Order: sequence, then structure tokens, then C-alpha cells
Amino acid sequence: MKDHFQEETVASPIPEVAPFVGSLSAQNLVLLSLAVTVLFFIVLSFTRKKSKSRGNDLLLLGPPDSGKTAIMSNLAYDQTLPSHTSLQTNLAQVVLSPTKTLRVIDVPGHPRIRDQFREHLGDAKAIAFVVDSSTISRNASVVAEHLHHVLHAITSLPPTQSTPALLILAHKMDLLKSGASSNSATSVAISRVCTILERELEKRRASQSGGVGMESLGADGEGSEMGGLDCSGPAGGTFKFSEWEGGEVYFAATWVKVGENKDVEKSSGEDGLDGLKEWLNQVSK
Amino acid sequence: MLDHCSISHKGGVVLWSHSFTPESAQITSSSASPVNSLIREALIEGRTAEEKYEKDGYAVKWTFVNDLELIFVVAYQRILQLTYVEDLLTAMKALFIKLFEPFLATFVASLHAINKGKSTSLPTRDTSSLWNFAKAFDGWDKVFDKLLRGFEEKAALERKSRFRPVTHTEQIIPSPPSDDFSTLPSESREVPQDEQQISRNVQALKDRLRGRGGRRGGRGTLRTESGSGRDSAPTSENESTKRKTKAKTQRKWGDAVPSESDMASLDFSVDKLNSDANGFSSRDLQSLVDEASLGTRTEDGMYEVKDWDFSQKDDKIDHDIARALRPDTNKQSTGSLGSLGSLFARLTGSKVLSEEDLQPVLEGMKQHLMKKNVAKEIADKVCEGVGESLVGKKVGGFQTTSNAVRLALSSSLTRILTPKTSTDLLLSIRTKLSLPLPSSQQRMPYSIVFVGVNGVGKSTNLSKVCFWLIQNGLRVLIAACDTFRSGAVEQLRVHVRNLSMLGVDGATNSKGRVELYEKGYGKDAAGIAKEAVAHAKDNDFDVVLVDTAGRMQDNEPLMRALAKLVAVNSPDKIIFVGEALVGNEAVDQLTKFDRALRDFSGASSSRSRGIDGMLITKWDTVDDKVGAALSMTYVTGQPIIFVGCGQTYTDLRQLRVSNVVQAILSD
Repeated sequence: MKDHFQEETVASPIPEVAPFVGSLSAQNLVLLSLAVTVLFFIVLSFTRKKSKSRGNDLLLLGPPDSGKTAIMSNLAYDQTLPSHTSLQTNLAQVVLSPTKTLRVIDVPGHPRIRDQFREHLGDAKAIAFVVDSSTISRNASVVAEHLHHVLHAITSLPPTQSTPALLILAHKMDLLKSGASSNSATSVAISRVCTILERELEKRRASQSGGVGMESLGADGEGSEMGGLDCSGPAGGTFKFSEWEGGEVYFAATWVKVGENKDVEKSSGEDGLDGLKEWLNQVSK
Repeated sequence: MLDHCSISHKGGVVLWSHSFTPESAQITSSSASPVNSLIREALIEGRTAEEKYEKDGYAVKWTFVNDLELIFVVAYQRILQLTYVEDLLTAMKALFIKLFEPFLATFVASLHAINKGKSTSLPTRDTSSLWNFAKAFDGWDKVFDKLLRGFEEKAALERKSRFRPVTHTEQIIPSPPSDDFSTLPSESREVPQDEQQISRNVQALKDRLRGRGGRRGGRGTLRTESGSGRDSAPTSENESTKRKTKAKTQRKWGDAVPSESDMASLDFSVDKLNSDANGFSSRDLQSLVDEASLGTRTEDGMYEVKDWDFSQKDDKIDHDIARALRPDTNKQSTGSLGSLGSLFARLTGSKVLSEEDLQPVLEGMKQHLMKKNVAKEIADKVCEGVGESLVGKKVGGFQTTSNAVRLALSSSLTRILTPKTSTDLLLSIRTKLSLPLPSSQQRMPYSIVFVGVNGVGKSTNLSKVCFWLIQNGLRVLIAACDTFRSGAVEQLRVHVRNLSMLGVDGATNSKGRVELYEKGYGKDAAGIAKEAVAHAKDNDFDVVLVDTAGRMQDNEPLMRALAKLVAVNSPDKIIFVGEALVGNEAVDQLTKFDRALRDFSGASSSRSRGIDGMLITKWDTVDDKVGAALSMTYVTGQPIIFVGCGQTYTDLRQLRVSNVVQAILSD
């Protein structure tokens, strides 16, 4: 009798567990898994929708003082407001045409905070790298370093994401000394920016390809090596934007006048940002 | 007095700015404006806790409005000691927000593209009329002028009252000196407030003088005195009549010390300032004119006339100013309406951070940073800066204060640690070596000087850098400029021997790739370095690494010698070697090395240069107490180029900012 009693007490935990397992078995388990998959798909569709609708950004990048905020204010407020060095990122909604809107993200160019652009890269449809064409020859290496970071970030995007279109904007072309007509001034600014940047980027590429890099601290397998400068051209050739593997690189030259209202500009019959707008229309098709 | 004043958004858009002189207008429109350099060198680097920023003869003061993301900046000539700037900034802040808050709110929202759905529906035409900035801030110019004038007048008045006793004593000095005199100036300076009192003092003094003069010098002096000072000649009669007339108006001129209330009733200056444009009786006006002629500013009259013309408008502006500056009673009442409201606000996610909320959290953060070996001074400043950037900010409903602080601190640390100049040493070496040069000249080698205090590992890490350079196919010359410590040269010789035995690119040894340049002990280090550079130039070396003797930062003769070495050789990089173990000392070391190099290196201040980068050694000994990295970058603003983390030649690393931030923030 005593023995039996003991057996009961020992066995008692088993009945408690058994129903639980029993309830999950067979049909219920199938139902549960079905529910989970449905939930999963719902979540997936939401995120996909989100990313699809948000992939509509224009990133304005470039060194400080190149005129990113001025371009942004021109696009967003139809007037060029005076500006100083930015402390934080601006996001503005821009109406391109009655049916088309675009979010312009103006990321500060100061070396300490310029890496913030990576946060917005996933949603970027287009990237405009703004360069001050009147001072490019003086700080070419700094600009090239910044551009190198951008190129590296673009090429290291996961393959599932569509790569954003890249435009190199030779801004402040009105400050460039050239007595010729506006059309040739545009080409002068573009060719100047292009050649200088190609030269500097080639230097960076050469120094990297030949050198032994240094591991960065706490290296977790991921090399600190910055790539992104590969060209499809013949081996040993110099860096060319036209042969860059990350995609096509566009060029345009622009200018804005600070403090002027758009109406005044319109009456004078020209708009300094035509090149940019044309490209935006072309890209956002 | 002021040079420039601006109100702008943190994103860079200037909402309103005003330059007071043509030169400052020109400067501020260029990229070298004081506002720009303030942002670049102080605000972005997390130095927001400092009170003011000085650059190119300008002193710049600023204040934030965090919820609207505005920055208010005032720039003025540094030599001017303007006391009212801070008050002006606070007043400006309060007024501007009061007047334009709705517009500002929509503007800021537009810069965050929050109202995404809404703005798409907006027709294009609307935007241009919506964003008419000139119109939006229409009245501000006038309000600001009024405000500024008020502060300037107050300051001028203060100054006047400070100087007045001095002028009075000057008036007295021409009269014959006496024993009693020596005590007088100090006495009058102690009680300078009341003009009447001063004049009474003067009168009393003159009385006493007259009596003494008569007693002493007799007739002669009395006559000269009556010739020079008109008021003292008919003294006694004049005095008595004056006393009589005053007695009629029931004014007390007793010998007793005037009480507080007496002084208040006699004080006309304050009263007059307040009732500026309210209209005067003719007698008051008379006194005003007197005051103006007494005063320092000749344009006072002009101002008064102008004020009179616009008196109506000014009244309104005055009213606005007064209303904005008054502590808000309305808000108090709505606040007392119930804690229910605040509860709802918290639930809906619009909690505004106040200073009291932040104080304990920031204190905790500061302690945490100090535990991580961040120098106390730096921890204070960083936390203060973080607090400043958070006060008034709205936080989401589910975000606690400490979370918000943590986030802000992490982004602030990232900003401080991220290098602002390129740390790619190899690239800059290659760039220099590939520079095209005139055919007659020989190529100069790239020179790097290692400086630091004793025993931090200069020579050891120099050899690590040397190893890395050799691996990259460069020819390196090591200059042994530590001519003081015994064994220093031998130590380097051993390193060179080891390094030359290591293979590079398949070759079994790297002989000829590295050499030592030494001249024994007790020589002039600067001379040896110069010879070494020349030697490297002749023998086609690519890089010269200069090892210097360790020195304490307080030892001025040695610091001068170091500065001389730098000035003579003008190296391409000056690398400060510091150990990761250093705590509070890091600040002192770096500031003194930096300053010594700047101050002692040559007469021309334009060519003075400080430290270009840092190398932190003994990194493997500190685990996650990596505060030294933060202290060092904060002090100099220069990047950490390498980190030494072990005993072998390969134990040299580049710093990864995210790792350091993580280590500092980890518990």
C-alpha cells in the first residue's frame, strides 16, 4: 500500500505534463505554425511596403561649405536662404512636379559627422555629391577622401538593394573664372572637377593596392580596407568615373544666388539648378 | 559695440542675421565667418559647455533652443568687455520664440519631413507664399534694435555710475592737499550709488576745505580759489539759500545719514529710464537734457527725437518685450490645472526634458565616465555639453530620460572621437613622395617626430611603426635623438638589427631598408635630427622617424629644446605618444606639449604648429577603461593615428571609433 502511494506521488508530475504536450500535438501544432507564418508574411509585407515607399530620397553629400544647405533650401522653399555650417541633418519634402515628390536629405559635411549619411543610404534613390568647383583645386585630397567614403558605401551595399544613382555636382560654377558663354562654363566646371577628383582618387587607389593595411582594433574579421574604387577598365589603368564598377556617375554644374527669391530668378530667365533638376527628373522616372 | 548677431537653425539655415559694421558683414558672408568657425571648432567637437569661443579677435557667445533647434549667436570684438551679452542672448531667445513660435515650429517640422502625407497634397504655388521668410520676421529688426539699445543704455549707465566718483575726486584734486584727503576717494568709492549724496559729499568737503584754507593760507589761497571755482566763492550765502529753498520742498538735508527710503526718493535716474517715452513734464525734460550733456554719448539727443516719433510703435514693442521677459504667469496657472495634463503628456509621448530631470542622470553618467578613466575635467565638460543639447528637448513616450541621455552621450562621444583629418599615414607619405619637384632639387623624405613623457613607449612604438612602413615597401631611417637616457641608442640599434632581419616581399631579409642614424650621447638633438634628414635625402630614404627623449611637460628647458627640434626640422607629422593608463594627467600633458610646441617654435605665429596626431600605447593593459582615448582627442581635437597593444612588432592597430564608444558606455 505504502509502495503504491509512493508510486503515485512520483507519477503525479507526469499527468501534468502530458496534457500540455497533448494539446500541442497534431492539429494544434499545424494551426500554430500556420498562424506564425501568416504573421511573418504580414510583417514582411509591411516592411517591404515601407521600404518601397521610402526609397525616394535624394541625399546631398559633400564637403562643408560646398552649398548643400543652399541647394536644399532652394529646392524646398523656392528661395536660397543664407546658411552656415550645418550641425545636423536636414530632411525636406520637395515637390518636383504636381505628381512627384522627393525627400531631400542634406547631411552635414564636417568630417566628424559626415558619416551620418550611412543611416539614410538604404532609402536613397539618388545621391548628389556636391563639390565647390571654385575651391576644388585647393582641397582636392579632402574632397576625394570624402567621395571615397561615399563610393565605398555605395559599392558595399547589400546586393538586394538597388544602388542609388550618383551625381557629382560642380556647384558654385558662377564663381569660376571664365569669360565664355554659360554652356561652356558648365563644361569647364565639370571637366575640372572630374579630372581633379579622378587624379586624387587614383592616388588613393594606388596607395591602397600597393600597401599592407593595418588591422583595426578589435578586428572581427571585417577588414578596415576601404574598397570601392575598382574599375572595369584594363588592369593597371587609372581610375576613371566612366569605368567605375559601382554604376554610372553623372555630372552636372550648378549655381545659386544666396538671398534671392525665385521670382527674381525666373524673370531673369535662368535657374542655376537646372542641371540638377533635369537629372532628378530623369532619375525619378 | 556688437559686430554680428544671428539666429539660425541647427541645420545651417540662417533665419535672421545682422552685422553692425561693414567689415563684419563682409567676414560673415565668407566661409571664414566667426559663426562658421564656432560651429566647426566648438559645437561639432562637443565643446558646448564652454562659455565663449574666441577666434580672430572676435569673441562669440551662443545659446541653444533645443526644442526648436535654434542657435542664437552674438559676436563682438574680443577687447570689449561686454557684460550684457548673456542677458541679451536670453532676452533675445525668449522674445524671438514668443513672437514667432508657430512659424518656427512649422519651419522645423518641414526640415524633418514629418508631415509627409500633408505636404504632398500642398500645391506648388503655396510653398513660395508659405515660406516668405522676410515677411515672417518682419517686426523682429525693430524689436531687436530696441532690445539692444535698452541693454546698451543700461550698460552705459552702469559704467557712468562706476566712473562718476572718480571724476568728482578729480575735480577736487586741484585744490590744496590736506591730510583728510587721502581717505576721501576710497570713501566716496564705497558709496557711489547716489548722485545727490556725492554732490553733498563734495559740498561738505569744500566747506571743510575753505575753513582749513582760511585757517592756513589766509587771504591768498582764498582768492585763488574764488578765481578758479565759481561755486565756492559766494559759498556761505549760497549754501544757506539753497538750504532754505530745499526746506520749502520738504526735503531733508540733515546731517544724519540718509536712510534707504531717502535714497530711493532722491534717486531720479532709475525712474527716468523706465518712463522713457511716456512723456515728461517740462521740468523733467530739463533734467533729462542736463543728464544728456553730462553723459558720454553725444547721439543721445538723436535717439530721443527718434523715439518720440515712433513712440506709438515703440510702446507696442516695449509692451511685447516686457510681456515676453516677464516670468509667465499664464503658464503657471495652466500648469497648476492638474498633474493630469502632464500625465497625459507623458502618455502621448511629449515629455520635455528639464534641467532637474537631467541633473541626476548626468551626474551618474559623469561618474561612469570617470570610472572608465576619462579625465575628470573632460567628463565634466562632455556631460555638461550633453545636458545643454538636451534641455528643452522632447522625448518619446517610451524613452526614459536616462535612455535619452545615453543616446546623446553616445553620439557626442562618436563625434569627439571621429577624426576630422585623414589618418591615412601611408597615403600622405606617398602623396609627399610623389609630388612633382623642380629638377634641381632632391626629394625630401617624410619625417615623423615622436614626442611624449618618460617611459610611455616612444622607442618601442616607433619601431612598430617602422616595421609597418617597411612592410609597405618604404625605406626608413631612424634618427636616435634621445641623447640623454643611457641605453636609448642601443635600444634602437637592437630594433634596427631585428627589423633588418625580417623578410619583406619574399626577400629573406630587409637589409638596407632600415638604418639607424646615431651620434652618441650628450649632443644637440635638433642638430642630429637635421643631419639625419640630410643623410636620408642623400641616401634616398623615404621616411625619417625621429625618436626624442622623454620629458615631463613642466620642464621648460627641455620643452624649449623639443620646440627647437621641431622648428629646425619642420617635420611632416608630430606624433604625441601617450599611454592608455594615464588618467587626469592626460589633459595636462597634452595641453602643455601642444602649447610648448606652439609657443616656443619660432617667432612667426603663423607657422606655429602643435601636435598632429596621437599614438596610444599599452592599450592591452586597460581592458575597457579606455577613457584616455577620449580625454586625449577632446583636448587636442587631433586624431589617434595608432594604438599599441602588445609586445611584438605587429601589435599596432588603428582605432575603431565605434569600439571605443561601446567600451566607454558599457557597464
